[in-house]
Amino acid sequence: MLRNDPIKHVFIWPAVLVVLAISIFPLIYSLTTSFLSYRLIPPIPPRVVWFGNYASLLQEPRFWNAILTTTLIAFIAVGLQYVIGFGVALALNARVPGERLFRVALLLPMLLAPVAVALVARMIFNPTMGPLNQLLSMFGLANLPFLTNGHWALACIIAVEIWQWTPFIILMMLAGLQTLPEDVYEAAELENASAWQQFWGITFPMMLPISGAVVFIRLIESYKIMDTVFVMTGGGPGVDTETLTLFAYQEGFKKFNLGYTSALSFLFLIAITIIGVTYLALLRPHLEKRR
Amino acid sequence: MSRRGLTGLSSWNRRLVAVGVFAWCLITTFPLYWVVVTAFKTPPGVVGGPTYIPFVDFTPTLEPFIDLYQGVRGEFFRTFLNSTIVGLSAAAIATAIGAMAAYALVRFEFKVRFGAGLIFFLLALGAYLLFNNTLGFTRPQALLLAFPIALVAAIIANRLPLPGPILGNEDILFWFVSQRMFPPIVTAFALYLLYSEIGRLGFQLVDSYLGLTLCYVAFSLPIVVWLMRDFFEAIPIEVEEAAMVDNVPSWRIFLGIVVPMSMNGLLATFMITLAFVWNEFLFALFLTNSRWQTLPILVAGQNSQRGDEWWAISAAALVAIVPMMIMAGLLSRMMRSGLLLGAIK
Repeated sequence: MLRNDPIKHVFIWPAVLVVLAISIFPLIYSLTTSFLSYRLIPPIPPRVVWFGNYASLLQEPRFWNAILTTTLIAFIAVGLQYVIGFGVALALNARVPGERLFRVALLLPMLLAPVAVALVARMIFNPTMGPLNQLLSMFGLANLPFLTNGHWALACIIAVEIWQWTPFIILMMLAGLQTLPEDVYEAAELENASAWQQFWGITFPMMLPISGAVVFIRLIESYKIMDTVFVMTGGGPGVDTETLTLFAYQEGFKKFNLGYTSALSFLFLIAITIIGVTYLALLRPHLEKRR
Repeated sequence: MSRRGLTGLSSWNRRLVAVGVFAWCLITTFPLYWVVVTAFKTPPGVVGGPTYIPFVDFTPTLEPFIDLYQGVRGEFFRTFLNSTIVGLSAAAIATAIGAMAAYALVRFEFKVRFGAGLIFFLLALGAYLLFNNTLGFTRPQALLLAFPIALVAAIIANRLPLPGPILGNEDILFWFVSQRMFPPIVTAFALYLLYSEIGRLGFQLVDSYLGLTLCYVAFSLPIVVWLMRDFFEAIPIEVEEAAMVDNVPSWRIFLGIVVPMSMNGLLATFMITLAFVWNEFLFALFLTNSRWQTLPILVAGQNSQRGDEWWAISAAALVAIVPMMIMAGLLSRMMRSGLLLGAIK
């Protein structure tokens, strides 16, 4: 039952005002700036170029490279996070021995600063002094160029993303698994369904709504990736691991090309919206079939 | 609550599953172990190749931490203090006003006309352009003038019978949560420019406590509203109805009944928000440069300044990590009591 009391405005307005102020100001500001040719260095007075910034961005190979890199990182990392996370959650839910002990350890990575995690990763991936190199040397693979070769560097960033964010999926999936009804499984056991059949027939479909939400959150968050890359490779070698946010940072904060950067951030916003809407549209028929 | 044994699996498979989980646990904890031991190493202990066990492989030393404390590698002590002050105050403010908004969305009815929202955006944009281009105000001045005009107009428009859909509580919640979808770079960059132009008018926001905290509050609010709504929905309404019969005013119901009943939820939300602010990098990178620098910025800087001095880098990373490790312990204790389950429905 919803009440109606004038005091409701006192409750809701502080939050609405703060969010409005911090989101609408920058939005209007960068929307209008994105149609200008506006640089701070050298200081030229702003000039209206309409879609000029957008056009030159769309012809810029570095922009497409950043989109491709970000997409690769986001999709591969989230895909693997989901598979590992769901697996571990299933095992924990089934009371694997020692499960209590694992819980704190499994929760830890997602609460740590990505910057610090990236620094630790740099040490571990060091090609001569790192422990990973020592381990691989035993298999005859010494001094792999982990962070100095484009493909390896991308793989390392993905690995760090997986390390840090799988706990989030484990946490959410575990909470979801614990709300599943017991009686369906009892019925399945009477029918002599194997564990494999039970998973694909019951657990997976029933977990689909939660899975959809969790993957959505992680996907959107992964597109914003910046700090891990900033510390681990700085976007290098060359621009091989440069993500969208990092590209925008380089253009805006190093070159102070304001109009261009604003246009870039708007294209980023459009891209995220397209991905989000497509994802939800693809997921919807599967969710509705369940009801 | 279903807690299923691994039925249908042979004991051999059971063991396989346990080994898999254990392996993942090892992968999770090894880097943490590594950073802890490295922080106590001497330079020869690092450069000579990987060493693992203190007292056996290498002799531990407190040197890196003493360096940190004495400020050899940047002002760690003050930066730690900055992070703590900004983190605690932003998390507290965000939790307070976010919880109020969440409660309002759960218990009161709101109606916003879509037309009014549209009028707000168009008027804000139009007034800004008018003030800035035609009337010659500076950009921040134009924005500050356009905002109240658009807001007042939208509130009046909301009372008129405009055509178009009427948005309810669910839509307002969606609007809050969708703010989190925004790529932060859009806001961070524009906010930096805006702050520095306001600074030129004589009110410093870049590299100030107020500017940073305000921005963090705004960016934590979506999560706070989302989490707290679930906690409030779980509270039985009968208690509040009983109080309403006795004519207790709403704000006293909220402070006296609802807040104490959802203390655990508030605490968990506060800690999650604190972790988010503590670890945040992008906004701090744009909005601070010296006085109010936070830990992530200083820690990231260690890398470029000090090449391969891992003992120092580890100690720095550890300073940023340890408070969150303690919080993970606290949070997982709350998790065991089934607290966070409500948050994902």
